[in-house]
Amino acid sequence: MQQLNFEPVLTAEKEEILREQVRDFLKQYGAFKPGNMIDSWSVCDPEFSRCLAKKGWLGMTWPSEYGGGDKSYLERYVVIEELLAAGAPVGAHWVADRQSGPLLLRFGTQEQREHFLPKIVNGECFFAIGMSEPNSGSDLASIKTHAERVEGGWVVNGSKIWTSWAHACHQMITLCRTAPATENRHAGLSQFIVDLEAEGLTIRPIVTLAGEKHFNEIFFDNVFVPDNRVVGKLNDGWNQVMAELAFERSGPERFLSSYQLLEAAIRVLRQAELAQQADTIIGQYVARLMVLRQMSLSVANQLQQGKLPVNEASVVKDLGTSFEQELPEAMRLILAIEPRPSVDQGIQRLLSDAILKAPSFSLRGGTREILRGIIARGLGLR
Amino acid sequence: MNELSQLIEDSATRLFEGFATEQAYQTMESGEFPQTLWQDFVNDGWLRTALTEEQGGAGLGLAGGFTLMRLAGYHAVPLPIVESLIATYLAASSGIEINDELLVPALISHPIDQSSDLVLSNIPWARHASGVLFVFPVDDQLHTVVIRLGDLTISSDHNMAGEPRDEITINPKQLIANNTLSGMSVEQIYSWLALGRAAQISGALRKVLLRTVDYANERSQFGRQIGKFQAVQQQLAVQAEMTSAAICAVDAAIAHLDTEQEWELIACAKITNSEAAGYAAKTAHAVHAAIGFTQEYPLQLSTRRLWSWRDEYGNEGDWSSKLGRHCMQLENDSLWSWLTTQTT
Ligand SMILES: Cc1cc2nc3c(=O)[nH]c(=O)nc-3n(C[C@H](O)[C@H](O)[C@H](O)COP(=O)(O)OP(=O)(O)OC[C@H]3O[C@@H](n4cnc5c(N)ncnc54)[C@H](O)[C@@H]3O)c2cc1C
Repeated sequence: MQQLNFEPVLTAEKEEILREQVRDFLKQYGAFKPGNMIDSWSVCDPEFSRCLAKKGWLGMTWPSEYGGGDKSYLERYVVIEELLAAGAPVGAHWVADRQSGPLLLRFGTQEQREHFLPKIVNGECFFAIGMSEPNSGSDLASIKTHAERVEGGWVVNGSKIWTSWAHACHQMITLCRTAPATENRHAGLSQFIVDLEAEGLTIRPIVTLAGEKHFNEIFFDNVFVPDNRVVGKLNDGWNQVMAELAFERSGPERFLSSYQLLEAAIRVLRQAELAQQADTIIGQYVARLMVLRQMSLSVANQLQQGKLPVNEASVVKDLGTSFEQELPEAMRLILAIEPRPSVDQGIQRLLSDAILKAPSFSLRGGTREILRGIIARGLGLR
Repeated sequence: MNELSQLIEDSATRLFEGFATEQAYQTMESGEFPQTLWQDFVNDGWLRTALTEEQGGAGLGLAGGFTLMRLAGYHAVPLPIVESLIATYLAASSGIEINDELLVPALISHPIDQSSDLVLSNIPWARHASGVLFVFPVDDQLHTVVIRLGDLTISSDHNMAGEPRDEITINPKQLIANNTLSGMSVEQIYSWLALGRAAQISGALRKVLLRTVDYANERSQFGRQIGKFQAVQQQLAVQAEMTSAAICAVDAAIAHLDTEQEWELIACAKITNSEAAGYAAKTAHAVHAAIGFTQEYPLQLSTRRLWSWRDEYGNEGDWSSKLGRHCMQLENDSLWSWLTTQTT
């Protein structure tokens, strides 16, 4: 059985000074659209992303030779949690900053780093994740999109689905089959950087149940990808995807998606006469949030030390998404109000948004059942 | 694991392993005291874990004390580790000479009414103590006094794990302000006791998880180990998650002793651990099925403790309500800034 490690870590003055800078920035920037505040890391606002870029808050942990900030993962943690808690629309650059950039730093060529990283840092290049397909969700190794060797590169055919913000992104890290599966089903997969304006590529939006144009279906009809856009080792894409997971699953976005509702609920309850009865519920949720922050910070610190705590990241994501899904359920019972998508602001709108968006929290980035399977493997059960 | 935990685990594990004998539990549950175990514990110097070197202690502080309590919880040690360590720490802090006897704490938070006997219930292990260390306020000052057992009336009771939880009656005139405790409040001492229980719970949670995973890998049905069934795996994964959160919460509270955030993180630790206790016990018993429901099988040593400890020194509801009230009364919109100070 592998030990799960969540050694607590405290933030120091360096991080807290940065935190104040983010708070000052947010104060100056002004209020965000209330309708965007739930799950704000799924809200795409390129202008806002460029404001953050100007502050130096994209690619913070990357080396300065690529335009990065040479900052620690703890410093990045502080910045992103401040933005998320405030409900800031950070969706446009989120994937590039969180995982595509780190992927290129880890596995990319020098040319790829020099080409893409400065653009990401400047808020000029957004990345999408092209993994899921119509017939391959949890069972990612079963993907059918394939690439064939041609002169100078590869030709890709197939389709991807549920691709968040592909219509607003520039590039997509695309997982393709480049060799037939062997006995090892994870062999023969490769990652490509695909230009989303490439010839032969079609993006069709899919509207979510909450009425948003969020994800897409993407069709590849003989899309050419040059050799210099292969990421890392050919046919070793699976291991590279696994290495991304510790980044993808452990951050504060995995428990803050409905946080704005908690603050609003406290504001409303404070005015109400029956506030006292709500104390216990509020306290329970606050305690869960306190531990989640501590666990997520601990993972950030382990990433800083060069570790890849994939199991710990799964724990954070499963506990975290349960928290952000259960929060609206608990708040509706103590608030005793009806959710209203029709109003522009106020708690009824937040509640409505939280309820309508909550199902996705435990799906994107690996479903609850898959995460628990990973944890069970770490326990030595599989 | 940090250095302090490693140090304590390396040196106390062998001792505690030796304590977990059927005879020791029988002794305790029949109302007797496992005196030889206690003597071993004291002889090895563990009672003085939290005392400074000037006080004749190990200099590991309360942090060391709580770490030892976690290990004691892991091994289901049938001794009053939490109460003796904290009472000894309080006694030493108020200048009472320490002579390695068993003291247990009794906290009084309100000014004492001299006109009638004082009855205090749920005092762990009181009947076996040499003395009860009373902590009580007089004017704005906390005082301590050790009352010998002969000067108290004790009515015995015990929790679901058979651990003594006694009721003591005392004539308040005996509570003569003798020694003072400065820089502490009754509330704070109570929170340390709660953290002690949370630490024990987090140890027991780890033990229950290991036991249950091992069992799931040993027991076969339908031609395969039951741990291969996904239904079992998914439950154990959640148990592992809650156990990790509980351990992390205790670590965070220990890291914040003696800071402004101390009580909030202790509240969080007790809430997280008390919640996890119920889930872990329920899941462990489901996975063990009938064999786990027997007295002979040792799972019950941990689960009966979990069910008891989660309610002692405040259950998750009590602490949540206290924490929630605090958050509701924060200045305008400052929940988030308050939250972020909890990791500084
Ligand atoms: C809002 C949103 C955004 C997304 N963005 C992206 C994106 O940008 N890029 C991208 O590539 N993908 C994206 N996804 C897709 C996401 O990764 C998949 O939805 C997810 O991996 C699950 O795949 P599926 O939906 O096909 O469900 P399925 O895999 O068909 O699963 C259906 C159900 O079966 C369960 N199940 C499946 N296999 C097992 C098993 N072995 N054991 C137990 N239970 C099992 C699942 O847990 C689930 O409950 C997004 C999804 C959402 C909802």
